[in-house]
Amino acid sequence: MFFRVIDKARLPDLVKGLATEYEVIAPIAKGEQFVYAAVTDPADMRLDYDTTLLPPKRFFFPSEETLMRFRVADNEVLDDEVYAAPRVLFGLHPCDINALLLMDNVFSGKYEDPYYLRRREQTLLIGISCTPSETCFCNVWDTNEVHWGFDVFLTDLGDRYFASCRTVKGAEILDRFVENRQVTDQDTTDFQSVVHGFKNSFKRVADTTQLPVLLDAKFDSPIWDEFGDRCLSCGACSMVCPTCYCFDVEDRLEPDQKSGVRVRTWDSCQFKEFAAVAHGQNFRESRASRVKYRYYHKQWGYLSKFERVLCVGCGRCARACPAGITPENVIAALQTGEVR
Amino acid sequence: MYWQLTSSGHLPDEYDVAVIEGAATTGEHIETLRKVRETAAVVIALGTCAVTGGIPALAGTLDYDARYGVVYGDGIAVARGRQVPVPVTSVIAVDYQVPGCPIDPAEFVKVLSRALMGLKDAIPVDPMCAICKTEENICFLDQGKACLGLVTRTGCGAKCVSLSRPCTGCRGLSPEANLPAARRVYADKGLDPAELDRLFDLYNAAREVVL
Repeated sequence: MFFRVIDKARLPDLVKGLATEYEVIAPIAKGEQFVYAAVTDPADMRLDYDTTLLPPKRFFFPSEETLMRFRVADNEVLDDEVYAAPRVLFGLHPCDINALLLMDNVFSGKYEDPYYLRRREQTLLIGISCTPSETCFCNVWDTNEVHWGFDVFLTDLGDRYFASCRTVKGAEILDRFVENRQVTDQDTTDFQSVVHGFKNSFKRVADTTQLPVLLDAKFDSPIWDEFGDRCLSCGACSMVCPTCYCFDVEDRLEPDQKSGVRVRTWDSCQFKEFAAVAHGQNFRESRASRVKYRYYHKQWGYLSKFERVLCVGCGRCARACPAGITPENVIAALQTGEVR
Repeated sequence: MYWQLTSSGHLPDEYDVAVIEGAATTGEHIETLRKVRETAAVVIALGTCAVTGGIPALAGTLDYDARYGVVYGDGIAVARGRQVPVPVTSVIAVDYQVPGCPIDPAEFVKVLSRALMGLKDAIPVDPMCAICKTEENICFLDQGKACLGLVTRTGCGAKCVSLSRPCTGCRGLSPEANLPAARRVYADKGLDPAELDRLFDLYNAAREVVL
């Protein structure tokens, strides 16, 4: 990794420069909340955002996408191109970059997903340091730090940014588009001070001691029935989760029934039909079992395969769940046996 | 195609597909529905009135005859055999449903295509919140405002909420809705839990009779 320092007042130059070659996606305000959207004017960006309604996963794995067009008569595939324009995601927090690394494990490896991976190749990631909000708990999973998976990471030092370049491409765009200078010892000292302050500013601390053991040992705990009684089975948690990757695939025929499209859409393990199979069998009939397996998979299933939990502590599900089912509540209930 | 409102021609004895709109409000309607069911290979209930009884079914929530008098006055000749409005789905079994007030024409085309291909109904069963989240809407409940999306059948793309209007439940109750939990959510958000049921009555007063 190598480093540069950018004067804060010069940052718009970087965005404007990038916009000449890339579609720039950055956080902007929506009411009192924030969303990622295409920006052309750097003044629209809100780098002081707490979190966004949806995570950046949709720029790689959209909520609905056409996988291919086909002809019915001979089953011929007419078009399965992945259309991915060059993009920059600007202003990602460490949790969301870490989340993409977790998604990469699923969409690459044994079963490569060309749609996801093509967009990933075509997208530069520029991270930015943050301040923990009321619902943030990335510190619990050590996802408050990120060491790879980005091109540039900007740490806010007040009047300037400490820019960590993880890729050659990242260093290139800085040198091409924005005035910058070499790092001094003072910059590094200030950087250390800022990141320590950040690490000590978290309000949420969940007790995750031996969580995988608790999940197995308390498999039949009545806490799951209580959460099941509360759950609306609405799937909001999955939609806003930066690491939920489940999808449904559907063939939709044109009204003339001569051709159609194969479409994939986000799915949720909280939906009744998620685990329904032929003959009416359903492996997750009850709400309680669906809530349980959501946590079971995130905190144990994925961990056993990829050595990381499938949660980055972004707090979006805690904000989105109308019924107040949060990872913090679930973990506390596993520890204490009581649902708060 | 036969459409009685636009033609006085003789109706056929058999139909491939019968598309029925509106709530049944007279004895004659009930007879017609039964006859259609016997003579049509496929029946599609179109629109909220046909699917859940819709707004007309509100008339049945209190003393129907007294209400009739309030609206039309006493001694006015009324439709023969009038009765409490009920959804088509409570009178006959239907093969496909297209809920919504108004309906989404694209959903109707999709259902019609399924009917023509002989595929079974694929009406979504889950509540609305998921699609509302994918639309990045700001939650009404979080602002302490009543919204019915948490119990209403999805499939409309959360259009109303995307246009800054709370969901009014026009697509009917989601079969997966957790009503006790939803009432608790209302209480947690500072709303009267009874308000959920009262608001839901607007399009779903006849929900007890839906087959």
